[in-house]
Amino acid sequence: MFLTRSEYDRGVNTFSPEGRLFQVEYAIEAIKLGTTALGIRTNEGVILAVEKRVTSSLLVADSIEKILEIDTHVACAMSGHTADSRTMIEHARVEAQNHTFTYEEPIPVESVTQAVCDLALRFGEGADGQDSTMSRPFGVALLIAGVDERGPQLYHTDPSGTFWRYEAKAIGAGSEGAQTELQEQYHRDITLNEAEILALKVLKQVMEEKLSNTNVQLAKVTKEGGYHIYTEDELQAVISQM
Amino acid sequence: MDFVGFQQELAHAPATERHTHNRWEPYVDNGGTSLAIAGADYVIVASDARQSNGYNINSRYDPKAFRLSNDAILATAGYAADAKRLVEVLEQNAQMYYHKHDRVMKASAMAQMLSNTLYGRRFFPYYVFPILAGLDNEGKGALYCYDPVGNMERVVYRSFGSASALVQPFLDSVVGFKNQRGVDPTRLLERDQALKIAVDAFTGATERDIHTGDWLDIFIVDRNGVTHEKRELKHD
Repeated sequence: MFLTRSEYDRGVNTFSPEGRLFQVEYAIEAIKLGTTALGIRTNEGVILAVEKRVTSSLLVADSIEKILEIDTHVACAMSGHTADSRTMIEHARVEAQNHTFTYEEPIPVESVTQAVCDLALRFGEGADGQDSTMSRPFGVALLIAGVDERGPQLYHTDPSGTFWRYEAKAIGAGSEGAQTELQEQYHRDITLNEAEILALKVLKQVMEEKLSNTNVQLAKVTKEGGYHIYTEDELQAVISQM
Repeated sequence: MDFVGFQQELAHAPATERHTHNRWEPYVDNGGTSLAIAGADYVIVASDARQSNGYNINSRYDPKAFRLSNDAILATAGYAADAKRLVEVLEQNAQMYYHKHDRVMKASAMAQMLSNTLYGRRFFPYYVFPILAGLDNEGKGALYCYDPVGNMERVVYRSFGSASALVQPFLDSVVGFKNQRGVDPTRLLERDQALKIAVDAFTGATERDIHTGDWLDIFIVDRNGVTHEKRELKHD
């Protein structure tokens, strides 16, 4: 795809004559190196699942966090350069809290997603009125799951600052296989419990290591309980249902 | 703090300062009265339309209750210019919210936003006593009243303005059933009763308060939207 480097590779904000922003496209490529993350929307809530690469038996698996809370009713899973997500999630959290402060109501899920995407293209020299915090595009994609008055929703954002709404979506290294599997298995009246199992089954297929309750993370966002990340015991309970 | 309290506070400024000539006077009390009553599935707002300055009448029809784009009503009392600016700020916020979040701002959201807007001018306040009326998430009548710096309270009925010292005790009796035996003080009024009480309150206030009169704007908000009617009050 990008076999020959050109002078348009240098400026992060320079269009190539064919109308492409190479650095943004490379950033999207970076996500394909990340661990697999996926989300499944059901009518009861949204499931997020991620793979953790526990590269050493000395590595404390708990220290890898790839699903984070944005607000009590919004969470996100990530893939790619996960350190980049800190800026984005911090921004999303601030935006969510500001909304609650100003209007005394939870922020809509789509607005959180939009707020994150607003950040995505603030790299390079920075346009008028906004200061850029990054010299390059973010190298991370997010799956944002949440519940608001419009019901459970799942969004996918990428480094180009675009977002899409999905019923089920996989990102990261195993995304191609996982997405195909989701496409086959997903149906509109899937229950939350079925989605938990499906999420782990799909992850299992694309993971190199053997799936266990320490090398995956599972979370749900429901109308009743909001964001909840599964404990190892809860995770084991789902694994035993597989 | 009500009108009188606010004025007393201004009057407590040092005497020498008070009598200084050509002192900048950022605030005017334009008189007039607003009231609102909430019911089980509606809310009624009434404001007279006289705008005065001391013994002078600036306008016989200058409305001080405003219908906002989210079908909430803002009734005001105090300084007319500040009230108008406050409505512009609120309406602009409501429009921005609509575009940003792709939905109409709820009355409850606007209530909190109004409080923040007022507190944002803590040290040069809008000299306005607002009452925000709309429906809550369950479709019940919702009234929020404020002092000029944003203290907010959800109430069932309230009157602000030059005749509030007359109207509020009347409402306490006939809407709040205060100091009465054998009544349920939490009972909500039917719409026609509330309308009658609102009109009676203004007929009485117009008799006794020189700053209240001319015309009465009445808004009723329910699940079908907003209705507005304009009634005549005494012009003297």
